[in-house]
Amino acid sequence: MEILSNLFNVALLVATIRTTTPILLVALGGSFTTKAGIFNIGLEGQMLIAAFFAVVGSIWTGSSVGGMVIGVSAALVFALIYAVLVVSFRANEVVVGLALNILAGGMTVSLLKAIFGTRGSVVGRGIVGLPKVQIPGARDLLGPSTAQLISGYTPLVYVAFLAVPLMILFYNRTRLGLYIRVVGEKPEAAEALGISIARIRYTAALLCGLLAGLAGAHMSLGYITMFTENMSSGRGFMAVAILIFSGGDPLKVLAGCLLFGFADAFSLRLQTFGFPSYLVLAVPYAVALVALFALSWRARPKRIRETVETIRRALSVRPSGEAGRDAPLPRS
Amino acid sequence: MTNRLLFRGLFSKGLGRTLAGQALAFAIALALGAVIILMIDESPVAVLMTLMRGAFGDAEKIAGTLLQTTPILICGIAACIALRGGMFNVGIEGQLFLGGFAAAWVGFAFALPPVLHVLAAMTLAVVAGALWIAIPAFFRVRFGTNEVVSTILANYIATLLTSYFTIFLFKRPGGWSETPPILTSAYLPELFSFSRLNIGLLIGLALAVGVAAFFRWTSAGYAVTMVGSAPKFAEYGGVSVRRVGFGVLLVSGAVGGLAGGVETLGVHHRFMEGFAPGFGFDGLIAALLANGSPIGTIFTALFFGALRAGSLLLEVDTTASREIITVIQALIILAVSADLMMRRRGDRTGERRWKF
Amino acid sequence: MDLAVDLSGITKRFGAFTANDGIDLAVRRGEIHAIIGENGAGKTTLMNILFGLLQPDAGTISIGGKTMLVDSPAVAIDEGLGMVHQHFKLVPSLTVADNIFLGMEIRRNGLIDRAAQVERTRVLSEKFGLRVDPQERVAGLSVGIEQRIEILKVLARNARTIILDEPTAVLTPQESRDLFQTLRSFVDDGMTVIFISHHLEEVMAVSDTVTVLRDGRVVATKPKSALTKRELVRLMVGRDVSFDRRPRTRTEGAVALEVEDLWARDDRRLTALKSVDLTVRAGEIVGIAGVAGNGQTELAEVLSGLRPASHGSAQLHGHDILDRTPAEIRNRGLAHVPGDRMVRGVDRNASLSANMLMGRQTKKPFARLGVIDWTAVHGTMRALIERFDIRARGPKDPARSLSGGNIQKVVLAREFTAGGDVLLIDQPTRGVDIGAQEAIHDEIMRQRADGRAILLISTQLDELKALADRILVMFDGRIMGEVDGAAMDEDAIGLMMAGIDPADMTEAS
Repeated sequence: MEILSNLFNVALLVATIRTTTPILLVALGGSFTTKAGIFNIGLEGQMLIAAFFAVVGSIWTGSSVGGMVIGVSAALVFALIYAVLVVSFRANEVVVGLALNILAGGMTVSLLKAIFGTRGSVVGRGIVGLPKVQIPGARDLLGPSTAQLISGYTPLVYVAFLAVPLMILFYNRTRLGLYIRVVGEKPEAAEALGISIARIRYTAALLCGLLAGLAGAHMSLGYITMFTENMSSGRGFMAVAILIFSGGDPLKVLAGCLLFGFADAFSLRLQTFGFPSYLVLAVPYAVALVALFALSWRARPKRIRETVETIRRALSVRPSGEAGRDAPLPRS
Repeated sequence: MTNRLLFRGLFSKGLGRTLAGQALAFAIALALGAVIILMIDESPVAVLMTLMRGAFGDAEKIAGTLLQTTPILICGIAACIALRGGMFNVGIEGQLFLGGFAAAWVGFAFALPPVLHVLAAMTLAVVAGALWIAIPAFFRVRFGTNEVVSTILANYIATLLTSYFTIFLFKRPGGWSETPPILTSAYLPELFSFSRLNIGLLIGLALAVGVAAFFRWTSAGYAVTMVGSAPKFAEYGGVSVRRVGFGVLLVSGAVGGLAGGVETLGVHHRFMEGFAPGFGFDGLIAALLANGSPIGTIFTALFFGALRAGSLLLEVDTTASREIITVIQALIILAVSADLMMRRRGDRTGERRWKF
Repeated sequence: MDLAVDLSGITKRFGAFTANDGIDLAVRRGEIHAIIGENGAGKTTLMNILFGLLQPDAGTISIGGKTMLVDSPAVAIDEGLGMVHQHFKLVPSLTVADNIFLGMEIRRNGLIDRAAQVERTRVLSEKFGLRVDPQERVAGLSVGIEQRIEILKVLARNARTIILDEPTAVLTPQESRDLFQTLRSFVDDGMTVIFISHHLEEVMAVSDTVTVLRDGRVVATKPKSALTKRELVRLMVGRDVSFDRRPRTRTEGAVALEVEDLWARDDRRLTALKSVDLTVRAGEIVGIAGVAGNGQTELAEVLSGLRPASHGSAQLHGHDILDRTPAEIRNRGLAHVPGDRMVRGVDRNASLSANMLMGRQTKKPFARLGVIDWTAVHGTMRALIERFDIRARGPKDPARSLSGGNIQKVVLAREFTAGGDVLLIDQPTRGVDIGAQEAIHDEIMRQRADGRAILLISTQLDELKALADRILVMFDGRIMGEVDGAAMDEDAIGLMMAGIDPADMTEAS
């Protein structure tokens, strides 16, 4: 019992919120491309390159905001290359995305050595991390332990969670949001109305780069204040897994990200209880895989639903004695 | 416009145009690479010369290049097999690690007569690779679960799992995070006295030729190719698209496992953490660059092998990091991608293969 | 003369193919102007040029008396043009109102004003008598309603000239009649309608002026009153009706294909086949008539093993073929010419030989012990090119380098030589030029004479009239009835295609 209460407490929830943030940001970014009908497997690379340049930028400018801007710019450059190749040159999305991931990995390591003369990671050296936002009055109102649930995070944590309702509004009530959906769902409709598919896809790709960049900046300036080789460690791919089964809907994305954030936080917690670290580290990936498989399995009940619907329709067409004719017998 | 027509006219035959287009893409990528090398304060010429010297400087260096080529080639063949069937196996890295570990385990845990020992270890490596992809493959063909994402995620698990085996279950006494060395009876025969270059290279070459012949000359190879390029047509013609898709991924995974076995039994003679980083991805890139052709993959794998071998000297002789070659590889793929692979798929009909 | 649209000298080429060749078209304000021509005559290309979706290589466009460059649909819409495409361009997940106002959203404070859009849709729908529920999602609505939404979309943009591309192709006769009434009311309100069709009955029924296109050229523009059906056909095809009934000797072969009480679902899991019964005997051609989308494709797919049946039985020479794989059914002797030949019938990027090899890649003489003998494959393909008069340089040509008619001949050549004695032929001449159509018909008749059992699915009645011994009419997944091919009663078929049993009609009247 004591172990359980040690495992599950406010600190775990706080940790979940912290671990959810980067993956939520990057997955919401991917929501733009998903809705616009592009399969963006390059999220990982955009995140990584942003994390690196955020660190470089924060050293150069001496400010965390400067670092964030430079980090996001780097992700935008990657997003632009992605858009040029995929949208304008009609290159294969998977090939380009994978190549950009590899490029990000190679570039960050090379530049790490060229700029800092080290391998592995860079800590200190004047990196300015993002400040923590204390919500005034939270501590008095809720008490110290509950207050930390909503107060004391870096700004991008709030950005990530506030982005969810904003994006729901964006997709349902703004012109650009609607157009992104149309381009993804029925490109011919967009074309016939004179909506430029290419322009919308570019916009979606860049919006995606923006959020993926923020995710990267949050990793190296918010979550922790350092850069490590391959520090995105598959979060971009987990985000893609979430996007596949959420279809890019912000609420479902949030649910998926919370699940992974929790798995992440929980596995870190397990580690402190002496479970082998390698197995524990694999938990979030395993959760992602199982969710991916389980939810594609879930596609089946839909068929049953549709079958029931067909029978219902058939019955409503012929309410009289002929009803039985329209509902086929199960095959023996 | 006229220029473009002229260009088309000159290279109207597919192959000519492909080669010309790829040469141009290569040039663009190398130029971009040069710019990046300048950015990190190195001379592109010096880097190139060092790479060349590191890759082809003397017999030993050439053998080193071939040693690096071997796993890239085998992984490349694994990727080719999947690509031909219209599948992306991005999980070769994971299959490589599991295959490598499985071979090492047979190598150190059992005492068997020489040839048999190698065969047993290789068999388990192949089985491990195939098993590792079996679940993503099943969900791909049965429920349409995107295999790109599932195999990538499986990579992370495979790496961590093998590390766990190595460090917690089979840790060699003495502290290194590696398994005990394999018995000499499980060593792959080496080709030269001055290098660890082993018959793995010949296995890779034989595999490339065999797979190419399989696709070109056999009924089954024809069926796989048709499933890859026109799945609905293949289904109509009586080919079981699901069975072929599953088989293709399974064989691809098996070859990925084989690559790991070759690397363990031929080069390291043990399994250790991060024993073959990036070979799986290099293989996939080499296969993409060769447009899924096994014979073409021999040359692209050699090219990437040379880059890798050359990069070892790069770290010694210059301040550049050896990851700069990864940058160059990625740039080449990006440059070539605009005109690659897509021609195989029916984008004229507006069919998008990658949708959710 | 008050012209709504005036095109002059419009020429459009796609590579070596000239789709439009110096076309002049003058449409008067306030008329229904039909543009008629066979498939491939260049009608859709011309309208896409007028609407700014394609750019002409030569020629000028004037709309409402102004000569202008129409380089995007937006320009055309600004000039009061509206187009209802053959394939609807509605977004399934959006509501009716959202779809209508897509591209011209009503906004308040930067956000889309849903309530206002719904209200405007309601007003519009009442004004023009096109009933829709503005707040319903488009997914799951019937094609007739989808077309209504498309027309409302155009009206919401204040179009004064409406172009409809093959509007009746997916409609039942009743829905078509409703549509024509709506169009007539538009013209009465002073609007102009351009109506594209290859269906001469409806052109004669609804239009004021008719322009006939053939092979990308205008062959005539005349008021309808100056035309007869017979003349129109001659103008369209360039000669008097091509499809006379083929002479034949009556045969009484054994039953080859027998289908009883067959049910199946379509891709949306809705019931597409409802208790279908049919038999096909050796040496006869059984035709299936019907408006496209009434279960014909699903029937072909079920019989060839590409789609599971939900109930019933189908026997090929007495062997059950439901629940069998396509390969097993092929081996039992069924050959299938698919309706969607570009997707199902060929791999466009593969060579003709590789296309011919499909389905026989493990059989002698093409393969031995799993190894393909490409010399034999190429040799056979070369012989087929000769025999079926396929216009190709050789067996190694990629399929995509051939015209539609020649690709169809490749499919026919493969299937007719596959050794099957039951032929399932879906839309043999769709999108094929006249010359090739006749050759294909000849070949089908030869197969009949050779004692094959043939099930022929076609949406073109004259094709069935020329070829079929018996015609079954499908409507909404059911077989409505059977008509003798020799004494074909077109009225009866028409009624059945609309879902009306002719027997009921006579009783009622």
